[in-house]
Amino acid sequence: MHETKEKHDFEPKIVAFVCTWCTYAGADLAGTSRLHYPSNVRVLKFPCTGRIDPVFILRAFQRGADGVLVSGCHPGDCHYMAGNLHARRRFAAFRGLLDFVGVDLNRLQFSWVSAAEGGKWVEVVTDLTERIRAMGPMEEFKALETEECWSGELNSPELQEAYNNI
Amino acid sequence: MNSTAQKLETSTPIDTSCYADVTDAIRKEAARILADGTVTAVVGYKAGRRAGTTMPAIVTDPAEAGGLIFSPACVNNLALYLTKAKKDVVKKGRIAIVAKGCDMRALAGLMGESQIKREEIFIIGVVCAGVKGSGAVNSEPLTTGNLARKCRECTVRTPEGADLVAGTMPSLPELTPVEALEMARLEAMTPAERWAFWKEQFSRCVRCMACRQVCPFCYCEQCLCDKNRPQAVESTPRPAGNMAWHIVRAMHLAGRCAGCAECERVCPMEIPLNLLNRKMALEMKELYGFEAGLAPQEKGPLSSYKEDDDQSFIK
Repeated sequence: MHETKEKHDFEPKIVAFVCTWCTYAGADLAGTSRLHYPSNVRVLKFPCTGRIDPVFILRAFQRGADGVLVSGCHPGDCHYMAGNLHARRRFAAFRGLLDFVGVDLNRLQFSWVSAAEGGKWVEVVTDLTERIRAMGPMEEFKALETEECWSGELNSPELQEAYNNI
Repeated sequence: MNSTAQKLETSTPIDTSCYADVTDAIRKEAARILADGTVTAVVGYKAGRRAGTTMPAIVTDPAEAGGLIFSPACVNNLALYLTKAKKDVVKKGRIAIVAKGCDMRALAGLMGESQIKREEIFIIGVVCAGVKGSGAVNSEPLTTGNLARKCRECTVRTPEGADLVAGTMPSLPELTPVEALEMARLEAMTPAERWAFWKEQFSRCVRCMACRQVCPFCYCEQCLCDKNRPQAVESTPRPAGNMAWHIVRAMHLAGRCAGCAECERVCPMEIPLNLLNRKMALEMKELYGFEAGLAPQEKGPLSSYKEDDDQSFIK
């Protein structure tokens, strides 16, 4: 039986970049075990967390994601030996950079979820969804996306005067 | 913003007597190594067309070595001319390069990344009391007021690892670390304030890509940000693409940038780009104890790992 679905005012969009060997299989396990998790998450499968470029995260935010989840194999379990360990350093650096330009790091979650951890996947996704639901939509990048460049005011008094003098 | 901070401080002149000695030493050494065939060319500075300016010069004839100079206007990082980004510079045989301490760090970084081989270059290191910052008047002497921001916190005034070091360092007056103060100011802000700050800064960007063209470490033949299939970073100068470009640039230079601040110098819109580079350098030092450019290192912090790296941010 389905639980009755709660109605919310805001349904966050969450993009999950996951590695195919662990987290994707973990999410699959959650599905085959009939565990419930929020459908707010869009899963994108990559060969390895080492393949996930910080640019993808930026792009997701720009294109309307309210939160991003990056998830892969536990350290030592990487199918390619050390892809996740390289990714760990890269994302640690990237977090620092995002924080410095003023992005709220609560919108960006990293996790290790193995192929056997369907339950942990559910927990991570539910936590992130609820956190982001409480935070509301991510406006910063979306506002940038819709802004049409010219930062100078076109309706300054000087311009207005020049216009009147034509 | 940076100019106001500098103007507040009373300008005291900086002892520039060492520059003449350095110039002599460069000329003598350049003539010698060109004449005896140690090198085929010397990359250095010569006087610019307007008084008080300089420009990069490549000298191949020992008779022309007398035209080389070193002055507080020698702002360029010449390491750029040795990277593969400068394909028009034909490299035949060993090449000598004039390097300040900050340029030396870039050279060390490039050696670590196998872009240049130590035995293929001859480094004429120069001691440097600082170079002029943006907005400095050409005819003015070097003072604490018109000194470049990066020079106020320089730790490599005497380059290490060069084939020879020209000149001796004069004593310098006390300098306020303008950039460190600016960093601290930003760090103390809330994320929303920082976002507003950077949004304003990046909105001015015209995407001239001067920061990329002048960077010794941006030597990729095809930049990710020029690709449009798929397009990772929008190439038009709109706010979204600007933000992405500057984040990507800082990210790609993390653990590599040697802090020569050329990007900031060439920026026509005066975006404080070196703050981003500094932030990444700081991160690398705090997280992995890595400092770029001290010596050629084969692996940077982001191309290596340790089993016990910090993962407190990962669930």
